[in-house]
Amino acid sequence: MRFLKSLVFVCFVLPLLCQPVNAGTKKAKSIDELAARYDCSSCKECHEEIYEQWEKSAHSKSIFGLGGRTAATIGTTITRGLMTWPYSGVKKPKDVKLKHLMLCAKCHLPQLDEATDSVAREIVKAIFDLRSRNKKVRREAIKKLKKVSINCLICHQKKAIVHKWVDGPIRKDAVYGSTDGEHESEKYPVMKRSPIMGESILCGQCHGLGPNLELEEPSQCATAYGSYLFAYIPEGGHEKCQDCHMKRFNKGHSIPSYRDPDMAKIAIDFKVDTFSYHWRKTKAEGVIPLAVVKVEMINKTGHGIPDG
Amino acid sequence: MPHPGRFCRGDQMGRGPYEKCGLLRDTGLAPNRVVEQTFEIPFPYKDIKQGKKTVRELVSKEMDIDVKLWYVPFGEMKGPLSRWNQLWRRVTKKVTIE
Repeated sequence: MRFLKSLVFVCFVLPLLCQPVNAGTKKAKSIDELAARYDCSSCKECHEEIYEQWEKSAHSKSIFGLGGRTAATIGTTITRGLMTWPYSGVKKPKDVKLKHLMLCAKCHLPQLDEATDSVAREIVKAIFDLRSRNKKVRREAIKKLKKVSINCLICHQKKAIVHKWVDGPIRKDAVYGSTDGEHESEKYPVMKRSPIMGESILCGQCHGLGPNLELEEPSQCATAYGSYLFAYIPEGGHEKCQDCHMKRFNKGHSIPSYRDPDMAKIAIDFKVDTFSYHWRKTKAEGVIPLAVVKVEMINKTGHGIPDG
Repeated sequence: MPHPGRFCRGDQMGRGPYEKCGLLRDTGLAPNRVVEQTFEIPFPYKDIKQGKKTVRELVSKEMDIDVKLWYVPFGEMKGPLSRWNQLWRRVTKKVTIE
């Protein structure tokens, strides 16, 4: 009997104890469920300043966007893209599935790959509700779209490891940062070191190399990382994204770009030179008194301008 | 700005992340490259008949030239999306001629 109990333990209990922490996670069936899974409101308790910086960032509105631009563009992707392509399987917005929305969500909401088609449809409905004439409907849609975004758990967990065969899979009980240790959180009691937290590749996972060729239908949005690798580095550049967008002016997790005056100031060397002379143009047009304005610009950033 | 291709084929520019693929051309500012632009602005003048001759006279020997560098994220200087435009630089130069 004792032998039988031991055998049961070995056959059933031991495999359960040995499961990786991510095993068996079911896909989220609603926006609320996905938002709960990636809820980072508890981070604010200890990381208040960082949290408030993040709230001001474009990351915190990655699906709705600044002034609703991202949601509008996702809508256009559906109406002018998916619905016009003969092999997409999408004839109307309700036909949109997860794989269709991943064209945009690959970068704008990476955690969507842990959701079902119903979440994709819920997001699409909210996006089209933004076009409603009913103010209440629009307000509810905005509220819904703002529930999910690129938050703490995307950079500090989901995207924290790129080379998984080298550094291991992502642990769902961990937050990733600069060191290993314990983390004062019931849900995330483990602190793990991410080898790429201060490296450009962390940002490059979403900030674009060109067409996303791994997708069945490649989309292409930003190409800043491509520009960083193939233009900035060959010209002798050596700084990381985080150096300029987080550290240089203490911008932290607000990670600003073109709208920030400090960023605009360091982005370009701008010189204007002028002189004048009398230009003997042609016999018919005569001599033209001319001012010549020469503008010289040097892009001092780590990527092409404009880009994103 | 980058001029992406349309589905990575032909000579049409793509618009929107669902069409954009690769690059046909890039008129943006590449990192650490010098980009120069030259503008020629005639001083205001008028042609006056003096007997049988026509004489060209300067209306003004001075011009204030305002050079502005705008970041235009959505491609329009007027219209609803222009509210996101950022004036990055403004330089005013006084130019004179004799």
